[in-house]
Amino acid sequence: MKALIIEKNSMNILLERFLEEYRVFGPTKPGSDSTFDEIKSIEQLHLDYISTVLPPKKFFLPPNETLFSFNIKNGKFTTKEIRPDEKILILGIHPCDVHALLKLDKFFSGDFNDLYYQNRRKNSAIIALNCVEPSEHSFCRSLGTGPFLNEGYDILLTDVGTNYLIEIGTSTGKRLVKGLNLTNASEEDFHEKERRLKLMEKKFKKSMNISWLPKIARENLDHDIWFDLGERGGVAGSFPCLSCGSCTFVCPTCYCYEVYDAVDLSLKSGTRNRELDSCQLLEYAEVALGGNFRRDRKDRIHHWMLCKFGAAAGGKNSSCVGCGRCIRVCPSKIDITEVAKALRRG
Amino acid sequence: MINAYLPNLAIIKKIIRETHNTNTYMLEFFDKQLQTSFSCTPGQFMMYSVFGAGESAISLSDINNNDITATIRNVGSVTNTILNMKEGDSIGIRGPYGTGWPLDKAKGKNVLIIAGGMGIAPLRGAITHIKNQRNNFGHLEIIYGARTPGDMIFKYEFEKWRQIKNSRLDLTADTIPANTPFECKAGLVTSCFPSMKTQHKNAIVLLCGPEIMMRYAAKCLETIGFKDDQIYLSLERRMKCGIGKCGHCQIGLKYVCKDGPVFNYTDIKPFIHPL
Repeated sequence: MKALIIEKNSMNILLERFLEEYRVFGPTKPGSDSTFDEIKSIEQLHLDYISTVLPPKKFFLPPNETLFSFNIKNGKFTTKEIRPDEKILILGIHPCDVHALLKLDKFFSGDFNDLYYQNRRKNSAIIALNCVEPSEHSFCRSLGTGPFLNEGYDILLTDVGTNYLIEIGTSTGKRLVKGLNLTNASEEDFHEKERRLKLMEKKFKKSMNISWLPKIARENLDHDIWFDLGERGGVAGSFPCLSCGSCTFVCPTCYCYEVYDAVDLSLKSGTRNRELDSCQLLEYAEVALGGNFRRDRKDRIHHWMLCKFGAAAGGKNSSCVGCGRCIRVCPSKIDITEVAKALRRG
Repeated sequence: MINAYLPNLAIIKKIIRETHNTNTYMLEFFDKQLQTSFSCTPGQFMMYSVFGAGESAISLSDINNNDITATIRNVGSVTNTILNMKEGDSIGIRGPYGTGWPLDKAKGKNVLIIAGGMGIAPLRGAITHIKNQRNNFGHLEIIYGARTPGDMIFKYEFEKWRQIKNSRLDLTADTIPANTPFECKAGLVTSCFPSMKTQHKNAIVLLCGPEIMMRYAAKCLETIGFKDDQIYLSLERRMKCGIGKCGHCQIGLKYVCKDGPVFNYTDIKPFIHPL
């Protein structure tokens, strides 16, 4: 299908169409930072955002969700499954975050399917937006996950001046723009997209080369840098890690979760829930009788870095997409790109 | 599609008291079809749910297709609740998960089994398997150590194990309180190594116990000629899902729940801080 264009001032046409079928979530700017929130009218939408604090992972792997409820009656237990079935549309999601979702898609399928994640993804539509302005922390270009997107979208928007270029990725995307009476895109629009991509690529301040990094990181399990990160500080001006876990909570590919039961006051029913967990927290690898397989802070930051380099059990499905959120929120100013550089130096 | 997180209800058919804080449970699914289709290999584990308390990963402590056997020591909130349960009570289970002991690779070889404390539980299935197919395996040697003789489990099995043809059972306890009417050596499992019959040639080692014990045992075995790839060990980690999704049990490039819990020593050696 041909590409289309829509005037920026007419985005409400698109939004109204989306709202007919979906609950729409998009970037809003309630304060100084952007965040993904529910969009009900065009005034809430801020598509010219740089990066959000939390990644859109929160719509598919919520910080807290109920897996099933259980009941006890006459000494007998019954369980009742809870399956999410809401149709949601994420509007204005950047390429790095789309790549993160593609990684999580692979992660939550395979030998065992995570139906909660998969159902949410199945019922969702992705309206991606190419980046034309990098944040000072992002380095997606060096990882091939941005700044422009080639896959994983239903509809892809690109800012080409006063218009958005609309490219269609799937039949869902086709259905969503059908009958909207939009202008066809011209050759010039694609030239403008190309020009903006070239311009954008020059603006990145950070980069990370992860080829061979999994191997390098694995072979340097006792490298000094892990002591520096965990105890001493001093990797490119950083302080030692505080094990606050911020990096894992803002990471779009961090998937670890904790499972716990919540019991009703009557003690007759309850729910089993899961919530996001962080490998930086002391309890993460704790077992019965006080055993802990990652008691030292350096072991925990080491594990996270390996995971983001694709050298942990999640492999490439949990590796970095270069969104730069962890660098932005780290209170100790730890920069994953500097860690990678230091490891490469040996 | 089946929801992998949903436990199936099972009934506790029988409880065997092992020690003051450890019981063995024989369980059966309420769903008859699930029970008949259930099959497991020694070394695998199941997730046990006590609704309201949570879920725990506990190994299968015998192979028997008629029921599911678990030996559980009271060490936390879930296991504490299980220990207070009676025959006839119900519990949620799902599984089996993980890889078992490499019994196919052990065929035709001498088998050395080293267990510490509760580590004998996942190994009992392997012993039963070897006993049932005695001609397929060479010499069988079992070294079992516990903190005290009173902490030893499966005491009723010892005589049966001693009667297995071409085998040897060695028992040891770290400390033996005075007036304990029990015949075993005093010392760590490694103190049994000098009198060990199994030699490194054509042998396979199945190792399970506290990680510190496994590290020392592996080190000692290395000094008497065993190669890393002859040693298999079963690891303990925090597990919340059992299916490689929650992330807690990661060790290097592997999930203990999905790729283990039984690993070849060469694969995980760098990650468990070898001596």
